[in-house]
Amino acid sequence: MNTKRFIFILSCLVYCFAGILTIKAQNSDTPKPLSNTHYIKNCFLVKQPGVILSGQNIIVKDGFISDIGPNLKIPYDAQILLADSMYVYAGFIDAYSNTGITKPEQKDRPRIADPGNPPNDIAGITPQFLSNENYNPNDKSVTDMRTAGFGLSQVAPRGMMLPGQSSIFLLGEGNTDEMVLKSGSAQNFQFETSRGVYPSTLIGIMAKFRDLYQNAKIAGQHEEKFLKNPSGLARPDYNKELKSLYPVTTKKQPLYIVAQKTKDVHKALLLKEEFGFDLVLTEVKQGWHYIDKIKQQNIPVLLSLDLPGEEKKSLEKEGKDGEKKDSIKTEVKEIKKEKLDPEKKDYDAKKAAVVKEYLAQAANFEKYGINFGFSFLNSKPSDIKKTIKKLIENGLSENGALAALTTNPAKILGLSHLLGTVEKGKIANLTITDKSYFDEKSVIKFVFVDGKKYDYSEKPRKQKDGKTGHKMIGLWSYEVEIPGAIQKGKINIKKDGSDFKISVKDDTSSNEDVATDINVDGSKLTFSIMATLSTPVKVDFSLDFEDKIYTGNVNVASFGTFPIKGSYDGDPKLNF
Amino acid sequence: MLKYILLIIILLPKDILSQNILIKNGTVLTVTNGVKENTDILIINGKIAKIDKNLTAPEGTRIVDANNQYVMPGIIDAHSHIALDVINEATSPVTAEVNAGDVLDPLDVAIYRALAGGVTISHAMHGSANAIGGQCETIKHRFGTTNPDELRMQGAPRTIKFALGENPIRTHGEGSKISPNTRMGVEQIFRNAFSQAQLYMKEWDDYKKGITKTSPVYSLRNETVADILKGDIIIHCHSYRADEILMLLRVLKDFGINKICFQHVNEGFKVAPELAAFGASASVFADWWAYKFEVYYSTAYNAAILTRNGVVTSINSDSEELIRHLYHEAAKTQRYGSLTDDEALALITINPAKQLGIDNRVGSIEVGKDGDIAIFSQHPLSIYTIPQMTIVDGIVKFDIKNDEADMRIDINPNETYSSFYENQRHHESQGCMHGLEELLMEDSYAKFMRYKYSKNHSH
Repeated sequence: MNTKRFIFILSCLVYCFAGILTIKAQNSDTPKPLSNTHYIKNCFLVKQPGVILSGQNIIVKDGFISDIGPNLKIPYDAQILLADSMYVYAGFIDAYSNTGITKPEQKDRPRIADPGNPPNDIAGITPQFLSNENYNPNDKSVTDMRTAGFGLSQVAPRGMMLPGQSSIFLLGEGNTDEMVLKSGSAQNFQFETSRGVYPSTLIGIMAKFRDLYQNAKIAGQHEEKFLKNPSGLARPDYNKELKSLYPVTTKKQPLYIVAQKTKDVHKALLLKEEFGFDLVLTEVKQGWHYIDKIKQQNIPVLLSLDLPGEEKKSLEKEGKDGEKKDSIKTEVKEIKKEKLDPEKKDYDAKKAAVVKEYLAQAANFEKYGINFGFSFLNSKPSDIKKTIKKLIENGLSENGALAALTTNPAKILGLSHLLGTVEKGKIANLTITDKSYFDEKSVIKFVFVDGKKYDYSEKPRKQKDGKTGHKMIGLWSYEVEIPGAIQKGKINIKKDGSDFKISVKDDTSSNEDVATDINVDGSKLTFSIMATLSTPVKVDFSLDFEDKIYTGNVNVASFGTFPIKGSYDGDPKLNF
Repeated sequence: MLKYILLIIILLPKDILSQNILIKNGTVLTVTNGVKENTDILIINGKIAKIDKNLTAPEGTRIVDANNQYVMPGIIDAHSHIALDVINEATSPVTAEVNAGDVLDPLDVAIYRALAGGVTISHAMHGSANAIGGQCETIKHRFGTTNPDELRMQGAPRTIKFALGENPIRTHGEGSKISPNTRMGVEQIFRNAFSQAQLYMKEWDDYKKGITKTSPVYSLRNETVADILKGDIIIHCHSYRADEILMLLRVLKDFGINKICFQHVNEGFKVAPELAAFGASASVFADWWAYKFEVYYSTAYNAAILTRNGVVTSINSDSEELIRHLYHEAAKTQRYGSLTDDEALALITINPAKQLGIDNRVGSIEVGKDGDIAIFSQHPLSIYTIPQMTIVDGIVKFDIKNDEADMRIDINPNETYSSFYENQRHHESQGCMHGLEELLMEDSYAKFMRYKYSKNHSH
């Protein structure tokens, strides 16, 4: 046989074979997997909250769970995953977040001639926008969520009042279109205003929403009439914003309202009462005052995992950072004063009770029989488990927590037939842990997304404290762009044992501000300084380091966020 | 069945169970019906049921001994900005569509402070940045609730804020470089808005009658202005100068509107007969002026002159501090203008009730009216008086004998401890131009930031 001919036939065969197996991955840049069939052997199967089966095997084929059982024939092409003593859960579902959407750069806004009548996009009204346009499956936030056990996110675009529509993404690698499970799954609304243009306040937002909603309804009905019989009717105006709101007015698309605090929840319920759309409350932190109404009207709720922290920690931190003798002195005084101050004592008790209310909210919702999921707008993926443990300590059951991660969000998203439990025929989104997920020491070993295996079993050990952020040490220049001016200065970053010491000095001044709340996460560094004016103003720095430069943002309380950049200027100074 | 009843009792807030109250042996200042010595007031289910001597109460009624004390109707403030999260939507000279009722803040501790001054009802107003500002909400000081809806005085007429003079001119003319930039411009804003709303109503009428087939565009702004034209909304207009007050009266006459209460109205004394003839009312400060150019020509006799000219006049606070001693403010009209006790008390009770269209329910001590009561140690117009107890709908909301140091309902779980005074320093004052600091600063924003930054580093 001719060798050339043999190679040709062989490559044809390989091509066909691969073609069948990797229908979905054809546009992807990542190398094609050897096989799309997996055999998960001998695991504890958590089919759904409260149902655990031992000694189970699972066959994953072409993105779906093709079989489950104690005695299965291993498919010839399967990759075998030995899962002895491991727990297999349905892949966790994030029903609301900005996962995969990078923060847009702060741009200077053009001057608006009439602030009472700005263009819709500047007013924050972009309901026609789809999060697909900004979603990046290879963004760090996607990897982080996947690493935390999540296989699915409903991603809302970032923005203001009406930022646009969410889409539901499988959290795999690849290109955006491949990862879309449902495009335009929800319309979004939040009490966020554009500064200086209408609607610039909460009252403006409420009025503008009512106006838009009524007009969407009217325009939608008009268009329908026109399509049936145009005679005597004006041709419908094309208005992309209103058109994208029709499905909300006809209840074909739910409206998610970000309602963090009690008054936000009230406003969201008020609007639902007025208009009757399908409401989903999301990123709820303080919703317990309306628990009856939520239950009565069967409103789906996504609770925020951004919970109030414990005060003790921050006190300790401040103590560590208090560098100067003066500050230590005043601190000692403060502590003495606090001990003697009955007002402070009462306050602490009151506050502790308030924090407890926040932490017990999930448990109370569970007791009331409200099916809630979680949302992840302001929470770090790496903290999710820790936070959920906190909720469990405050009364939430493990099954309730698991339901909030799997079955409940699947139901809220209308995807119960595809996801949320480990059952034959469902999409192979699986989260595999070495112990029960809720065990303190459990580690996520594998995550399956859409039948594709992500292996975290040999995760490199976390870098020791001393190593993280070593690239950040040094003296750095900075430039803050505030409208019409550039503020320059130096940031000194040094290490004292395992702790960072950071101070900031402006070029026009001889004093330095010592930073607190220092946090290092990969290449990202955040810290705050308190600038003392007639009232103290908190300035938050958020920097992202890259070799010898960094970029980021500076947030000056109540004045807004401004871009900052800088470069390496040499070794840190000891006495800055 | 028993279980069911028990459940209802458990679900009822504690307060509702104690709505029956008997105030015994007080000197009752009814405001509309003279002074009654040693008289009892019985409040049943939140309403005044009986006013008489030696009343007996049904079992379980709370008894309050008001012997040697003065009992007056709950004080009403016709101009306030407490319990609001937003005061101004200052981006447009006409924002009739926005509604302060959307941003009621039941957690605002200023409500409790107002109660401590005997105030049971206030008019939560939009600010004065716009010629036609937003709608306002008449609220009852039911402090203790977390639900904004429970602050609303259900059934109170709708009201809206208008503003004349410097505030809309500064905000829009000087700030945003749009109309109005003069007092003439302000007038034109009103005329345009009313004319537009007339056209709007016509469009919708034609559509509803089938004359036109295509639905007009909906406008919540025009809807609201149309409701003013129909007489469904009472205008409360921020004003100072007499010429402008007459201007607005002319505009309203041209458009057939007659429900108007002028707020501040410092030059009201110059046009008191004209206001009375129109049927306009006036809500004034006792003696506060000269805080900006258009408020220099003023007098502490304003309230008395207006009253004696037959204008329904009230004294308001426009301030979360002043609201705590409106009884002092009313007493000033006896020094400046020699008003009688009833006339002076009417300035903070029945008259503001009339201006808010709620005088059939509150503002005096009469059988059938709401159980809103303020009890004072001495006559409320005495400089030595101290508020003792404030009752809203028959529920004791302030009691000087049981006045806790920290009355905050909601504490931010992320905040760090601050004493009351430190807390106040961070708290912006809630006045008419609240929320505009930033907007007015826009032009000199960079300059301001530089200044702020340099100050940052100067000590």
